[in-house]
Amino acid sequence: MTTARGTVIGVALAAAAAATLGALPARAHHSFAAYDMEKTKVFTGVVTRINPDANHLQIFFAPMNDERKNVIRGEDGKPIIWAVEMMGSAQSAAEGISVNTFPPGTIFSIGLHPLRDGQHAGTRGRGGTIYKCPPKTPPAPGKHCDSVPGNTAYGTGGLPQPKE
Amino acid sequence: MLEAVWRATASAALILGGTCVWAQQVADPGFKSVGRGAPLAADLRTYEPVGASLIGQFDAPASAKTFVGLSRDGTPPPGIKPLPVDLFTTKDFYKDKALWMDPRYYRCNSSAAIEEMWGANGDRLIGPSGAASAPWGRCDRDYPRAAIVSPYKFKTAQEHYEALLAETRKRGGPTQHTYATVPGEWTGRYMHPGFTPGNAYWYRMRHNQVPTILSLLTPEYQKRMVQQEFHEGNTNAAQWPSQYCWPEGFMRRWHEYATWEWDITVTPSLVQILAGVARNFITNIHIGREFKMDGAVPRLGADVPRWYGETIGFWDHDTLITWTSNIQGWTVHGAFEYSNKMQTIEIYSPNHDANGKFIGLNHEAIFYDPEALVEPIRIVRNYIKTSGYEQGDPYVYIECNQTIFPINGRMSPVVPGSVIEYRVPDMFGRPWAQIWEQYFEKGMQRPADEDIFSFK
Repeated sequence: MTTARGTVIGVALAAAAAATLGALPARAHHSFAAYDMEKTKVFTGVVTRINPDANHLQIFFAPMNDERKNVIRGEDGKPIIWAVEMMGSAQSAAEGISVNTFPPGTIFSIGLHPLRDGQHAGTRGRGGTIYKCPPKTPPAPGKHCDSVPGNTAYGTGGLPQPKE
Repeated sequence: MLEAVWRATASAALILGGTCVWAQQVADPGFKSVGRGAPLAADLRTYEPVGASLIGQFDAPASAKTFVGLSRDGTPPPGIKPLPVDLFTTKDFYKDKALWMDPRYYRCNSSAAIEEMWGANGDRLIGPSGAASAPWGRCDRDYPRAAIVSPYKFKTAQEHYEALLAETRKRGGPTQHTYATVPGEWTGRYMHPGFTPGNAYWYRMRHNQVPTILSLLTPEYQKRMVQQEFHEGNTNAAQWPSQYCWPEGFMRRWHEYATWEWDITVTPSLVQILAGVARNFITNIHIGREFKMDGAVPRLGADVPRWYGETIGFWDHDTLITWTSNIQGWTVHGAFEYSNKMQTIEIYSPNHDANGKFIGLNHEAIFYDPEALVEPIRIVRNYIKTSGYEQGDPYVYIECNQTIFPINGRMSPVVPGSVIEYRVPDMFGRPWAQIWEQYFEKGMQRPADEDIFSFK
């Protein structure tokens, strides 16, 4: 038997569940336990490649240094590359993030939850806003693309705050 | 081996003769169309292959086969002045750019012949002394470029499709088929296009000098093709994508060995073509749909390039006219690379025998890629229907499980349990070229890539 009260509660629970699930990468094909979802790293970096795969769109990028004059490089002089795993490429495209809108060289800012093992990868996880700087226009030292006039925002909630 | 295949298919053509398909290179629409059915400028069946090769029984030893070419052991043929350096002797093909458009740089071999010189498809023509012993093909042969480029005036696939649609509307179309009227006899299984008798088309890459193919390409894509020729003909480090279970890519559908039989299913709203060998080629033609035009390229779905594109189409009676866009750029070994801007217009027309019986399809495809091609090109093929789905083996969806890995830059089967050094491929960054550049191009003067970290 379904009562009106029960229906209301059921609808509310369903809505809450949908809201919760909707914030996670939909229909994941792997566990997210490898990521430390309690930590958030915020980067401004330069896109080196986007892989628009069906299961996840991945952005590979070189984080910029604090001066925002160059990217961080290893001892061999080569840029250090990070990977951030997004939702599926079609879901990311619906948000405006695609190979066409983030070509190599794009400067952007993002918050990610890093891998627990310290490797240079993370997941965007529960979202937040990604900001794209205007072409060839890095932010001021210590700042992110959300501070640059003419930026483009993707998603809601603002740029996440770092959390260690 | 391939010559044997050619001969076998030619024999089969004689056996199966009596149908009109062999005389028909392009389907005649029965009226002068703005964008379909234009005759080919030259009939490839009257041209001989360009490259050096061995002809004989498929399973015969190389010693029992006949060499076709001008010189077997790399010695310059009489009457031909060799270049001071060529693809097979160079230490840096990038420095030879001024020679790339000279057929002698390739010893007058076709792209397919270069690919096969080390034994890619059977007999090896390179001698024990290595690449410098590469044979010479026929410098006096070449299929005309005019028969490769599109005969139509259109600069874009969109213009082409809209013109064909307008033409069809003037003729009272497009035809709105129902299950009762859709040409159901198309549904069924079609012969392997590469082995279909009389199915001669230039994209097999056997009838052209390499510079003729290069002349179709923009400078960046010319460089990429020469890079491939060098590593297939000189370093013997071919990187065929499907050997690693990488995607085959859109244009491989036209390569002679990329697909076996084709399964075609026709419904009023969707025509589906299934084919494959190492990967699945699935072409879904959405009848009556329109592309979104607000992105980088026309598309049906999300702003995500698709390995085999997205396709719309309409019927003009029993002729199907399609437009494919939103294609992921990739490569075709033995041929050339193409970009994400690739789009095609394809026309599928029924072929009938002398009694009017449906025997298969004529497939005219026009390729537009302003990034890779200097002008649109055209490939025309025929498919022979062999049966319905009531008989024969069903289509097997292919799951490609990787058993071959690049070891020191060359393909190598690896025994399960082995431990190898494995570099994760940069799948959207020309991974084949990254292998070449890492292992075989040290010290070469490769043009620098754009510096994406310059933003001062």
